[in-house]
Amino acid sequence: MLLDVEHLNVFYDKAMLLNDINMGVDTGELVSLVGPNGAGKSTLLRAVTGLVARDREISKRSTGGDVVLQGLIRFENIQIQNIHAHEIVKMGLVHCPERRRPFREMTVRDNLLAGAYLIKDRDKTMSNLAKVYDLFPVLKGRGSQISGTLSGGEQQMLAIGRALMTEPRLLCIDEPSTGLAPILRAEVFEKISEVSRLGITVLLVEQEVGAVFAMSSRNYVLSSGRIIAEGTGEKLLKDEVIRKTYLGL
Amino acid sequence: MLLDIIVSGLISGSMFALLAIGFSLIFGVARIVNIAHTAFYMIAAYCIFFFTQRMGVGPIPAMFMAIIIVTFLGLIAYRFFIEPIREHEAAVLIGTIALAIAMQEVMLLFFTGDFLSVPSLLEGFFSLMGVKIFFQQLLTFGAVLTILIALWLMLMKTRLGLAVRCMAEDREVANLMGINERRVAMATMGISVGLAAFTGAVVVPLTILNPFMWMEPLIIMMAVVVLGGLGSLKGSFIGAYILGFTEALVVFLIPKGAFLKGSVALSIMILVLIIRPEGLFGIAFEEER
Repeated sequence: MLLDVEHLNVFYDKAMLLNDINMGVDTGELVSLVGPNGAGKSTLLRAVTGLVARDREISKRSTGGDVVLQGLIRFENIQIQNIHAHEIVKMGLVHCPERRRPFREMTVRDNLLAGAYLIKDRDKTMSNLAKVYDLFPVLKGRGSQISGTLSGGEQQMLAIGRALMTEPRLLCIDEPSTGLAPILRAEVFEKISEVSRLGITVLLVEQEVGAVFAMSSRNYVLSSGRIIAEGTGEKLLKDEVIRKTYLGL
Repeated sequence: MLLDIIVSGLISGSMFALLAIGFSLIFGVARIVNIAHTAFYMIAAYCIFFFTQRMGVGPIPAMFMAIIIVTFLGLIAYRFFIEPIREHEAAVLIGTIALAIAMQEVMLLFFTGDFLSVPSLLEGFFSLMGVKIFFQQLLTFGAVLTILIALWLMLMKTRLGLAVRCMAEDREVANLMGINERRVAMATMGISVGLAAFTGAVVVPLTILNPFMWMEPLIIMMAVVVLGGLGSLKGSFIGAYILGFTEALVVFLIPKGAFLKGSVALSIMILVLIIRPEGLFGIAFEEER
């Protein structure tokens, strides 16, 4: 497995956000995490990419509540549960955050170059930049536009492009379709399958179950911090209880 | 009269800009409100005095030595004193006030509270349409402008500059791009204190030294930052010139305006806080870390 999560528990302020999570992602897969709001999908991504560990470190040094992370997270058989987020990026595990969060005051080009921060080879960065522009033609020719003035869909493309600039092997994308019009959602999902076809492993968090099941190789259903089901979309949709209770279909 | 106002506004505006940008830089990157910022400026001014008047060093080498020493001092203060309490806003505020007062007391011990001065680097002046412009003023203005341009190039063209801008906008996402927050914060602290030291070094011939000289620029700098929006470099830059020109206008246009000079910064600060608390270019810090 490329990514392995074993017996992962996460607490924020004594609230248990993740409860004994066991899951994994294999090289080349597109795996989705689905489930209702507050199920812990985003927290799982944040734990995997080092942001929970980061929160824990900040809370230790401030008056904020306690953050606890127990269990094992392995990326290519290296334990990463205590590694800094910026070190995890170096290993090729990259997080495209919820609500897109472009650097709003910076230009499109600078946003993409920020993704290439760790890549010191200038030529490589430039060829990656060209690849990202090819993948997202909406961004092409708009390098000098301030990213805060892009539309929601364009900002999502930019956020994915920025994450791709880090040369990920496992790309975690959190809720890419939130707040987008249906046509744009379809386009974003199309781009994500395209990224997956390029050979990049994807771990996707989404609410839009229909679209996700059609493209992902495997899915995990989360509810109240637990994984309650796992399998292909087809299999999960056959299960009446899961379909009605957790997926709302 | 008009030219007087322009000259005075440009020079004080540039000084305010240097101080405020340094202050905004470290706030933006590490969310540190460094009250001791202008105390470093004061130390740099004393360094210049000590090297040129007591040790007989030439003014230019003295300037470099002052900037290096103060920057080093700032980095030590940051590493051992501010960084451990960084995530605790109130502690940073109180801690840096304590730091500033400590530096003031040390200077009081070494140099007593006497008013001291350093002669101009360049003597003389020329008259432009009846306004006396001292060469020293011109030199100060030129040096400040050079540093501002260099800083701008650093921010826009270098890798560190990119990291600084990313961190100023969203520390968590910057981290996700592989930016090492601790290291960038440390580098930024160096630049920030370096700017304060540079300001102190170039302003010293135009001012009078005493261990309390950090308080007035602190208030002005705070007013600039409040006016421009906390954390916004563009805001600090524009705010500094607005304040510089307002001060010049008050001094030259209002009878006995020189007595009101000190109240300009405070009035602007209060007005901005009432009318537009986020300032001209303030960023709304919604649930980010």
